[in-house]
Amino acid sequence: MKSTYLLLICFLFSYNMQSQEQYLTKNGAITFFSSTIIEDIKAENNQVLSIIDASKSKMAISILIKSFLFKKALMQEHFNENYLESDKFPKATFKGDILNFNNVSSLDAKYDVKGIITIHGVSKEIVVPTIFKRNGDTIFVKGEFDLLLEDFDIKIPRLLLKKIAKEINVTFEFNHKPYNR
Amino acid sequence: MNKNKIIFSILIIGILCFFISYKMYNRPHANITESTPDITLTADTIIAAFSSDETKANSRYLDKILNITGTVSEFKLEKNKGIITLKTNQDFGSVLCHLSESASQNIHSLIVGQKITLKGVCTGYLMDVILVKAEIINE
Repeated sequence: MKSTYLLLICFLFSYNMQSQEQYLTKNGAITFFSSTIIEDIKAENNQVLSIIDASKSKMAISILIKSFLFKKALMQEHFNENYLESDKFPKATFKGDILNFNNVSSLDAKYDVKGIITIHGVSKEIVVPTIFKRNGDTIFVKGEFDLLLEDFDIKIPRLLLKKIAKEINVTFEFNHKPYNR
Repeated sequence: MNKNKIIFSILIIGILCFFISYKMYNRPHANITESTPDITLTADTIIAAFSSDETKANSRYLDKILNITGTVSEFKLEKNKGIITLKTNQDFGSVLCHLSESASQNIHSLIVGQKITLKGVCTGYLMDVILVKAEIINE
């Protein structure tokens, strides 16, 4: 009796795993650029967590603000303490749907990803055109989009207004691997 | 004569101010290798702290230089950046350590299962506790 149960559970579990088709990366890359005449500022985060549920066409991303590394220590400090207030809002998240998502092939395929992005405690709906590509058993995803600082209630002191762009360019590259629990 | 002296001293102060602010503006990041760790602990302790009360753990560990001891469960180079995973006693969640550029070059001398101490800056908790700019302390 006991072994029958065990078998049933095993069967259910494996069935469940197959139908879920989850892909995950713990070291996705997100880079942002702020470009003005005076100064170009760049920061990189290589610890992005991103999950794709291929069967449900869903995507979820989680980012630690403190993982953004700058060239200049002072900029990183200002970014964390004054602009993003990373002690108060340690994470940025995105949750959304991959629209009209079919099969991912070894060729580049463009899908719009629509969802809610939350930065600095402010949520906003965005649509990001994203390139999906299958590479063996991994799903590679990349794209870029622009964000307005004022949309996320991020205030820049007047003195620095000329150094920091109002619109920030964000690029991302995630290499998802199949995820087995 | 007196006037010249005043102008001269103002000039010196001006140059000094400029120099100091320039130095501050371009101040380098804290050197992880040379600084003493704020907290020394094991991989099991830190994952337990984060999984039980993340807010409390955030205020205690974020931005701190930590010495974390644990067992290597995986290591790899991705885009020339070394990543070491430390095993914990929890089912989910480990300690993910992203190595500094210099430490990344020594990654191949590691063995899965060996005990190791890493020094790095804690940036928070997603599925795992994340350490960046990590240096390998002992092998």
